[in-house]
Amino acid sequence: MYQALYGLIKKEFIQVFRDKNMLRLIFLLPIIQLLLFGYVVNFDVKNLDLDVYDFDHSSQSRELIQTTSANNYFKPNDEVIALKNLENNFKNSSSDMAIIIPNDFSEKLMNKDKPTISLITDGSNANSTSIGIGYMLQIMQLYTQNYYNIKPKGEIRFDVLYNPEAESVYFMVPGIVATLLTMITVMLTAMAIVREKEVGTLEQLLVTPIKGWVLLLGKIIPFALLGLLEIIIALTFGVLWFKVPFVGSSVLLFSLSGLYLITPLGIGLFFSNITSTQQQAMFFAWFFSVFAILTSGFFTPITNMPIWMQYITYLNPMRYFMEIVRAIMMKGAGLQDLTFQVVILTIYGISVFGLSALRFSKRIS
Amino acid sequence: MRKVKFIAIKEFYHILRDPKSLVIAIAMPIMMTFLYGYAITLDINNITVAVIDYDKTLESKELVDAVYESTYFSRPDTEPSEHDPEALLRSSQATAILYIRPGFSEALLNNRHFELGMTIDGSDNNLSAAVLNFSKAVLNLYLLDHLPNGIEIPKIEIAVQNLYNPDLTSSHFFVPGLVGIILMMISALLTSITIAREKETGTMEQLLTAPVSTRQILLGKIIPYIMLGLLDGFLVLAVAKILFDIPFVGSQLLLLAFGLIYIAAALALGILISAISKTQQVAMMLALTVTLLPPMMLSGFIFSIKNMPIPLQIFSNIIPAKFFITIIRGITLKGAGVEILAAQGLYLIILMAVLMFIASKKFSTRIA
Amino acid sequence: MSYAVELHKLSRHFGSFKAVDEISLNVSKGEIFGFLGANGAGKTTAIRMLCGLLLPTSGNGKVAGCDIINESEKIKTKIGYMSQKFSLYGELTGLENINFYGTVYGMNKKDIKNRLELLTDKLELDEFLKRQAHSLPIGWRQRLALAVALLHQPKLLFLDEPTGGVDPIFRRKFWSVLYGLAEEGVTIFVTTHYMDEAEYCGRISIMHQGKIIEIGKPFELVEKYKAENLEQMFIDLINCREVNNA
Repeated sequence: MYQALYGLIKKEFIQVFRDKNMLRLIFLLPIIQLLLFGYVVNFDVKNLDLDVYDFDHSSQSRELIQTTSANNYFKPNDEVIALKNLENNFKNSSSDMAIIIPNDFSEKLMNKDKPTISLITDGSNANSTSIGIGYMLQIMQLYTQNYYNIKPKGEIRFDVLYNPEAESVYFMVPGIVATLLTMITVMLTAMAIVREKEVGTLEQLLVTPIKGWVLLLGKIIPFALLGLLEIIIALTFGVLWFKVPFVGSSVLLFSLSGLYLITPLGIGLFFSNITSTQQQAMFFAWFFSVFAILTSGFFTPITNMPIWMQYITYLNPMRYFMEIVRAIMMKGAGLQDLTFQVVILTIYGISVFGLSALRFSKRIS
Repeated sequence: MRKVKFIAIKEFYHILRDPKSLVIAIAMPIMMTFLYGYAITLDINNITVAVIDYDKTLESKELVDAVYESTYFSRPDTEPSEHDPEALLRSSQATAILYIRPGFSEALLNNRHFELGMTIDGSDNNLSAAVLNFSKAVLNLYLLDHLPNGIEIPKIEIAVQNLYNPDLTSSHFFVPGLVGIILMMISALLTSITIAREKETGTMEQLLTAPVSTRQILLGKIIPYIMLGLLDGFLVLAVAKILFDIPFVGSQLLLLAFGLIYIAAALALGILISAISKTQQVAMMLALTVTLLPPMMLSGFIFSIKNMPIPLQIFSNIIPAKFFITIIRGITLKGAGVEILAAQGLYLIILMAVLMFIASKKFSTRIA
Repeated sequence: MSYAVELHKLSRHFGSFKAVDEISLNVSKGEIFGFLGANGAGKTTAIRMLCGLLLPTSGNGKVAGCDIINESEKIKTKIGYMSQKFSLYGELTGLENINFYGTVYGMNKKDIKNRLELLTDKLELDEFLKRQAHSLPIGWRQRLALAVALLHQPKLLFLDEPTGGVDPIFRRKFWSVLYGLAEEGVTIFVTTHYMDEAEYCGRISIMHQGKIIEIGKPFELVEKYKAENLEQMFIDLINCREVNNA
């Protein structure tokens, strides 16, 4: 029994490791993902290109322009540009916003007469535009405070926990761990059985007296191990290269990863059961992965989504695992903080895997 | 030419006969647009913030109301516990906790300096930055409403005019870009496996023994998928119009022209992948790695390229999606014409030509 | 005496299509039984039912003394199976394939090694055990597949077109191995398209559209239909059926 299981696992590993391309993919995938996400994911809105049309030419207007580059919010373009070019610069994306300072700006400012300036934006990137407008409001506030020399009465003392340096890579690495584990296990399991179906080797296996559950375990354990290996590669690389802090217990992370794994493995098996070609299985697995990633809060926080979409995210098992990995790695959360997620994942695991296992039979239909 | 037509027709039958592939080619883009369009929103609102009010005065209650009246913040489902309020942060039930200390109202009314405390879950740096900015804004607004008598701060007014997207709807920015993402995925995925499948099942050999050149085979394979790609492009744009009300200001013909070039580039990539992979499994994995992540990450679809490290900025220039997304945004949202998009268009054409060249080289040496 | 295979009105339908339609037959122990029929006649479906891969729609049967409906897992310990498609792992070497199937049949290392030595001799596998299976010529792949099917010393062997695509010299060798096995008391249940192979069988049955339309010793059937040879008899019989149906 155990011997047969061992034989199956060994066979699966030989198959994976003998395919050079597959091997490369398995090892390079986590590293490519980490490099991409580590360096690219950055929602900071900074260095917005700002065209300046200054009709006032006063020391006040120049000081205002100076203030815009505070905190690297804007990169004011100090060349003199003809106003007719304003829209062309938006159309070829060489500028994000344009500020027009009218010729009565300094005069009104001195007379405490509410001066008005115009801000024209390339609104197509809604997010950076609205943040940019917010910056501009702050800059005007800063400018008037300095100009009239007023200090605000109240302030908030912020205490940022877990990621005070605000490094996005610290946030992305746990997310990548969850994503990798899901994608690798679903895809490889989905392909594994259907591949044997397509090639014809499954039939040969099914006429042997091997027990159905041994066969299933033999198909699942190798991919579970590969999934955990991917986590180790991703984490090691993240900690060594990006210096990502790991606050919580790695033992807890690994045990909960093991718990979570059951669900994507079960889903992969299910896909393998209902499809007859690798191509179909791959598309199912692919679609599931996209759904899982998009609704897990990996890219954008779930609270940003429309309410009905937020309800849909509860169907996504990866959502809970994402919370678990982030909480353990960044916040040092213990099991007691994660009971909700653990309970849900347990229910998911048992039902998904149970259903797929029940559907699997040693007969062909 | 007749041979090319024959192979193209054969390939078309192949797609049509397999209803599952057809479903994939048609239903997938629609579902993807739906998912991406709704799931990726960068508008940050409804951040869950717990408030612990130790002051318990009229003024502090007004501040609490001001916090939740703003569209930025909402109440967590669970109230924070007295002895361990931060448990809410650890379990992700709240993003931040605002502490109103005793003596707040007294200081406010007597025009003395006061301080509020806020503990933020900083793990999502983007979210925590937003909390920081929004809470400052909420406090400033509150202070303006509670100015001591007789004090007046003159303000500089900003007259804002947002061109192209006056309501600043974020879907108007993402959804046109989606055309670039989805076309790349579907085109590359479909072609990468069709050829790998023919190799695996051995039908490619048969085709190669027929008196046609590899270039003709390649062309015959590509034509049906160009048509399918165009169909997908139309579907995504239709969904964009119906569900997300995306404007289309510019020239449809211009977009069609660039769309064709872009699809050809994506198909060349797919063929390249299948030419270098032995099995469908590897082709699929490779296609997913190459066509899912880089176009999403390095094209300016979500993340602005100018904030990336220089090497990646340079690398982004070999991603066709980067140029296509700029072009499609320019055409749909801003009505940009060919004179403005010339540089981007030229880049796209060069990339397409290079990809086509490499693909046909690899295709003939690896397969034949 | 009990039979190696006994079927009683065994049927399998796929929707309204009757792939196998009430077939009944008995195969004695140690017999080489040829299971003939045109493509799509239902041979593979029938064999799959006998091996416990498919449940019959109706009827019943016994294979190696076990009921095919309730004791299919027990049957699997007693039979060897070789399908028409090469169904070993291409990425694995011959030896790895054999070791793998050995563990699947619950054999220990020593048993596998002993058995392998014997089979290597009998099937002349030697030099091909170290190569990845997909790189082997088709004839060698089939021998390897036979070795796997014989690994656990089955008393009953199901061969579904084992010599498709194999050259005549190789086929001759293959059959001499089968004869040797039959002499050792192994029952062989084989489907084939080659009429010269059918003549090697002790008895044959001919299947047409899911039914067994003829059964008997090859030479007796040739005589009965007054045909020149088995091939002619087969073609006449099938043609005659088609005409009657039309």
